[in-house]
Amino acid sequence: MSVINAVTCPICGCLCDDIEVTVVNNEVVKIKNGCAVCEAKYLGYKSEHRIRKPLIRKEGKLVPVSMDEAIHKAGEILANANYPILYGWSSTNCEAQRVGVELAEEVGGVLDNTAVVCHGPSLLGTQEVGIPTSTLGQIRHRADVIMYWGCNPWSAHPRHLERYTSFTEGRFEDSEWMSYVNKVKAAAGRKKLLSAQRREEPKKAHATAAESVVFNKPPETLQKEGRKLIVIDVRKSMSAEMADYFIQVQPNKDYELMQAMRALVRDEELDVDEVAGVPVEYLREVVDLLVNCNFGVIFFGMGLTHSAGKFRNIEVAISLTRDLNMRTKFLIMPMRGHFNVSGANIVFAWQSGYPFGVDFSLGYPRYNPGETTSMDVLLRGESDAALVIASDPGATFPKRAIQSLVKHPLIVIDPHMNATAMLGDVVFPTAFVGIEVEGTAYRMDNVPLPLKKVVEPPEGVLSDEEILKRILKEVRLIKSQKTNQKTEVS
Amino acid sequence: MLIKNGFVFDPLNGINGEKMDIAIKDGKIVESVNDRNAKTIDATGLTVMPGAVDIHTHIAGGEVNTGRMIRPEDHIKDVVRKTALTRSGTGYSIPSTFVTGYRYSKMGYTTVMNPSMAPLGAKHTHEELNDIPLLDKASYPLIGDWWFVLEYLQKGDLEGCARHVAWMMETTKGYAIKIVNPGGLESWGFGRNVHTIDDQVPNFGITPREIICGLAKVNKMLNLPHSIHLHTNNLGIPGNYVTTLETMKALESVATNGKPVCHITHLQFSSFAGDSWRNMRSAAEEISKYINNHNHMTFDMGQIIFTDTTTMTADGPFEYTLYQLSGHKWVNSDVETETSGGIIPMRYKRTSAVNATQWSIGLELALLVKDPWKMFMTTDHPNAGPFFKYPKIIAWLTSRKARMATLKKCHKKAQKKSLLPSIKRELSLYELAIVTRAGQAKALGLKDKGHLGVGADADVAIYNINPEQLDIAKKYKTARRAFGNAVYTIKDGKVVVKDGEVVQHVDGKTIWLDVETTEEMKVDEEMKRKFKQYWTVEYENYPVFDHYVKVSDAITVKASV
Amino acid sequence: MIVLTPLKKFQFPVHAECINPDVFQGKSVKGIASLTVWEGNKKKKLGDLFKIEETSAETPHITINGDATEVRRIGQGMKNGEIVINGNAGMHVGEKMAGGKITVNGNASGWTGSSMKKGLIEIHGDASDYLASPYRGSSEGMRGGKIVVDGNVGSDSGCYLRGGVIIIKGNAGPFLGFHISKGAIYVEKNAGPRLGANMTGGKIVVSGVVEDLMPTFTVDNVKGKVKIDDTLKVEGPFYVFLGDLAEHGNGKLFVSKPNNPQLGSVYDKYL
Repeated sequence: MSVINAVTCPICGCLCDDIEVTVVNNEVVKIKNGCAVCEAKYLGYKSEHRIRKPLIRKEGKLVPVSMDEAIHKAGEILANANYPILYGWSSTNCEAQRVGVELAEEVGGVLDNTAVVCHGPSLLGTQEVGIPTSTLGQIRHRADVIMYWGCNPWSAHPRHLERYTSFTEGRFEDSEWMSYVNKVKAAAGRKKLLSAQRREEPKKAHATAAESVVFNKPPETLQKEGRKLIVIDVRKSMSAEMADYFIQVQPNKDYELMQAMRALVRDEELDVDEVAGVPVEYLREVVDLLVNCNFGVIFFGMGLTHSAGKFRNIEVAISLTRDLNMRTKFLIMPMRGHFNVSGANIVFAWQSGYPFGVDFSLGYPRYNPGETTSMDVLLRGESDAALVIASDPGATFPKRAIQSLVKHPLIVIDPHMNATAMLGDVVFPTAFVGIEVEGTAYRMDNVPLPLKKVVEPPEGVLSDEEILKRILKEVRLIKSQKTNQKTEVS
Repeated sequence: MLIKNGFVFDPLNGINGEKMDIAIKDGKIVESVNDRNAKTIDATGLTVMPGAVDIHTHIAGGEVNTGRMIRPEDHIKDVVRKTALTRSGTGYSIPSTFVTGYRYSKMGYTTVMNPSMAPLGAKHTHEELNDIPLLDKASYPLIGDWWFVLEYLQKGDLEGCARHVAWMMETTKGYAIKIVNPGGLESWGFGRNVHTIDDQVPNFGITPREIICGLAKVNKMLNLPHSIHLHTNNLGIPGNYVTTLETMKALESVATNGKPVCHITHLQFSSFAGDSWRNMRSAAEEISKYINNHNHMTFDMGQIIFTDTTTMTADGPFEYTLYQLSGHKWVNSDVETETSGGIIPMRYKRTSAVNATQWSIGLELALLVKDPWKMFMTTDHPNAGPFFKYPKIIAWLTSRKARMATLKKCHKKAQKKSLLPSIKRELSLYELAIVTRAGQAKALGLKDKGHLGVGADADVAIYNINPEQLDIAKKYKTARRAFGNAVYTIKDGKVVVKDGEVVQHVDGKTIWLDVETTEEMKVDEEMKRKFKQYWTVEYENYPVFDHYVKVSDAITVKASV
Repeated sequence: MIVLTPLKKFQFPVHAECINPDVFQGKSVKGIASLTVWEGNKKKKLGDLFKIEETSAETPHITINGDATEVRRIGQGMKNGEIVINGNAGMHVGEKMAGGKITVNGNASGWTGSSMKKGLIEIHGDASDYLASPYRGSSEGMRGGKIVVDGNVGSDSGCYLRGGVIIIKGNAGPFLGFHISKGAIYVEKNAGPRLGANMTGGKIVVSGVVEDLMPTFTVDNVKGKVKIDDTLKVEGPFYVFLGDLAEHGNGKLFVSKPNNPQLGSVYDKYL
């Protein structure tokens, strides 16, 4: 039995690196410090959906073949393609992502990662206005106003608050954990009191405890000492339940709300009485709080990237943050999903200049989301081959895009027989990065961390990096053979 | 290999245009080689210099890459196609990594120093350095606002600080102590800044003066090859030359053994007189006067190029000031416990009185400082301009005609204020070799770089300049073209560039310091506990492990502590 | 005049910057046929993809007969001459145009007339997104010239407009005139949400319904008519809004009063 410390968890953008993994006979048996999702992955990665051997579709069915045969077929598909897509990349290590860039460049295809269905709009927003941000430790040490806008860390990034924000001890700010615990106790106590009262007087009509959520006035507690947690969402999520103040914004109206806040920060008067369901007088109180804090931060997620306005929602959120810097210190950060989606953007950018949607078809990198992004290429039916790795577009892409994907040869590299793999023409089993393969990943705040290998991968299962390197070699071989044939003929 | 019959300029060995042969074997300069077996390069009529060295250029790491990500409109105008030997990429002010290597090499550069590395992101910096081909490289960790340093210096514990810095240097695989706006970056954590070197840094009870002098002493105790590398307080603010002078004066007491104790980088940005943008003028005269009378400092220019470029520094508050002035897209990137940072696109125009004055300041400094071993050529790439425009600066330094031609196109106010009309000096090829290679290598303490003596690394640049036939002061356009396209660039004894084209791939080494202190720094439970409090990563995951450096060149340094 | 007919339905994107009167000028049919184009990742010649014929002696003049949906960058940067596309046009048509005329007898794709400097673009069908808007990260929008769209336009059209005129006879999608600083945009029918967001100058005129006016605009007065350019004056009455307040902007939104009764309850009290 061995206990491995300081293991970096390969699931979400939190990239917690304090996980303690206990291994017995090459199996993970216990996890300490991880959240429920972390535990689920480490204890459940050896599922029956695991692919054991390379597969090729022959006469409609996926049959096991040798690695060499699969590599050769994959190489042929890519070497002969006129406009292939190489998509995914977010759940593998930087070492594999590097080979991906080289491969995309070699075959003259479109290199794209899952940002295109996730935080792509955030990247587009920063390309318009920049971004005032920092690493997560700055938040831990200094933030006294923490806002989560259009995201739900309670479910999607479970340890975010306890590691980086409201419930951590910083050098200059204390944890609000005790205050939250007391609040929960008090709420439980109130509930008990109310139900006891109801039992005492069953006939008396009682006013419902539910406050009118839409016209929620900023509570007195928002003026308290210590860190304040504000959640803004279209519905009262579990994260909102924990907040000191929850603002319910009308769906698809975040842009208006933020733009109005910007105007208020700049001391402008508004003609309207209400924006996005929030009365302007309450909005003024919120803006006052923000402007008078020591250090504020906005974390945002799909609520902004995927509602009407898309990248302009991010642009205005960044502009609001930037404008607040006229009065105090304010930062903003996207809640990246996959554990190494940042890494893919970072690797693509340093090697090509662009973070995603990189089109190498003309022999040099080109970037124009809407034109060179994989989703759009698929919707227009322009591609004639695809390689999908470390992602599952078969489950996340719109139907028309998937139809386009399966119309042409599809190579899939994944540990599991997931939705995409089931549609593939050549399927490679691969080892889990962060469990069976080591490497580097980048956290949501762009801090690089090492991933550990804690167990051996199944027999014959290679890493993403190794498979890609072999495919690249095969592509080069095939292409040089084609050139030789041409010169022979002429 | 044998380079025959070229005009050799090797200032570290006192060679000034002598016609001689250079012999190379196994990647090093040797006394001689067997004529018949050696690959011969006929350098008749050509200028042979050591490979160029760039002491300060932002080419790798988190900040540089964020700059790349937010400026697609910068890349689209400068695309680089894939060839059989070279990777594709994009360029202009923030080139992708492969393009950075190729373009530097085409100008005859063989060693480059990335000057800003946040220790927390050091792995990222090294990953990018690995992807820069054809060059040897190193990186400087940002230490000036590091909480441990501030605490040790506040307590007066220089030895403890020195041991800690030694650990830091090894852990990040860094090369020198980098200090940016000391005290200002920590203040910026809450949106504030320092304005004099005696301001108190909030929450830490220490002043910039104490940080600078403390680290200069630590540097001496550790015997590091380069001095501390400093970006002064009040950078870019009219009237800041006073701070620069104060800083230099403060360091006089630390200088005792005749070696420079501090390198001030991109000095142009720290040499403004006046008290507002309207009356801002050059303080090159005041600054150069001090430099000419003191020997404890070295500098690099930070020369402005008139073009659209990107500013990026660890000086978060300064970058915010630039945002307030320009309204351009602004990135701020503070790093917990360590440093801050900012990025803003910037266009320098001849028609802007301020930009034109800045342009003039850089050149005034270079020409008024008498000793070329003190002032080196840089643009603080990409802050004052992209590095591939260096040949323009070479022309301005070596040709009065060239700089007057540019001055004439500048804003009239700047023309009137400029000291350039009264400066006749033109750097010779010998002096040019000092400010672009020999001097830089010497200041960095790189014993095998910047010269062509026996034992040096075989990094050579051969240019199409015949000193006997070409007057570079008159024909500056020809000189510019020649320095922009080396006839040969030789790296580790291999020809990597010929006639401006890459002909061979070489990885290049990453140089870093393995500092051996007499007493090991104690990494005990107390230290690990503190570490866990200060950072959001585990102590075990913080260092740059060996496998992060593709080709490692560790220089062992024996510290006196 | 040169007539180009696509030889097949293109699946892969075709990069055809060379389809430009300035480039064709002075070249024979053979010379034109050997111009470089890219189809997907394959370098080809124009003659491989199009049938090229020369008709009457009227140069410079190019006509494309057929579906050019996948043909990109037609007329990019052109300074003189005319291009007529009898079919749909691909992305970036007329991008950075500096003179001349482009007529699309069909629909246009994204980035039509991006960062235009001078000239005239007429689209007789619909235009997609980013009409006249600059490249990612750039704020150098259309500077001059005129674009007329008979049908509808998509989102983010006329972003960073700093001169020239855009006339839309159908409906406009969201974010029309984002960050406009100068110039004029006229929409005959309806305008989508976030009209004129981040506006700092210039004017946008809407004769139809404005879905959701931004809260950061303030009503100034009511005007009877407004001038779009020297050739066009539009009858109101219009509410005149100033904004965008979040940018301390001095832009003007002219919104039809009769077609927007929903605005009355909010803004009439200020008039």
